[in-house]
Amino acid sequence: MPRIVRDADVVWEGNLARGAGAITAASSGAFEALPYSLPTRIAAPEGKTSPEELLAAAHGGCFTMSLAGELTAAGTPPGRLDVHCRITMDEVEGKGHLIVHSALDVRARVDGLDAQALAKAVDAAHAGCSFSSLLRAAGVGIDIETTLDG
Amino acid sequence: MATDRNAKVTWTGSLMEGSGRIEGVTSGAFGPLDVTWASRAEAPDGRTSPEELIAAAWASCVSMALSHALAGAGTPPERLETSVTVTFQPGEGILKAAIEIVGTVPGIDHDGFVAQAEGAKQNCPVSKAMTGVPEVTLAATLATA
Repeated sequence: MPRIVRDADVVWEGNLARGAGAITAASSGAFEALPYSLPTRIAAPEGKTSPEELLAAAHGGCFTMSLAGELTAAGTPPGRLDVHCRITMDEVEGKGHLIVHSALDVRARVDGLDAQALAKAVDAAHAGCSFSSLLRAAGVGIDIETTLDG
Repeated sequence: MATDRNAKVTWTGSLMEGSGRIEGVTSGAFGPLDVTWASRAEAPDGRTSPEELIAAAWASCVSMALSHALAGAGTPPERLETSVTVTFQPGEGILKAAIEIVGTVPGIDHDGFVAQAEGAKQNCPVSKAMTGVPEVTLAATLATA
């Protein structure tokens, strides 16, 4: 399979505290010129996205696809997966601001699947998800809660 | 103080034939956004993907870090235009990120700007979370007036 390339563009104007930026999904056009700023990144979002929110969407999207792939490969394709991802950034002594944690909360509705088989698929999805792999390599903590919907 | 940001994703069906949706995010700034394997691995057809979202997160993070560093050096930017390209190989993972920055920054020379951009590339929180990407390149230039 050929390499896959995706681009994003950002324009920033001004200094950090009072400046503002705009984020565009350049490959797909799925979103354009989303505004962001420092106050809305570190305090209440007030309707504006942030790098951490985009990471949450990326990790949630990547893990969900990985789990769909594992369940499909096991002969039990999902009816529906609901995945919630929460990314936490914190100031770490001596290291500045770091992405410290990603929490995935997975609800799966899959015909013919028991909790043990779901746990196995989740482990495989976590191992195979490219985003999970990068966070692991950087020492970012990852927790996964799994619930099987009957 | 820790900052949390959330996203909710749903998926129905198998990986190849099914489809997903980034239903929404903490801020409400975007979503729902549809995602599929085909639009992730082939032509995007207007759909975003995890790799595009990583590119957006990285570009926005580096831009902020660079504006902060430039202001700290007494040369705040008028404008930074940052593009990040993320390269993904199914089965292998994310192999490369290419960061390109064009800055309009009064009072700084090319070498000074490149040095600040290199610092931002090293130090922004997203870069520090993505140290597992095997190749990260930076091309930083000043806009010609």
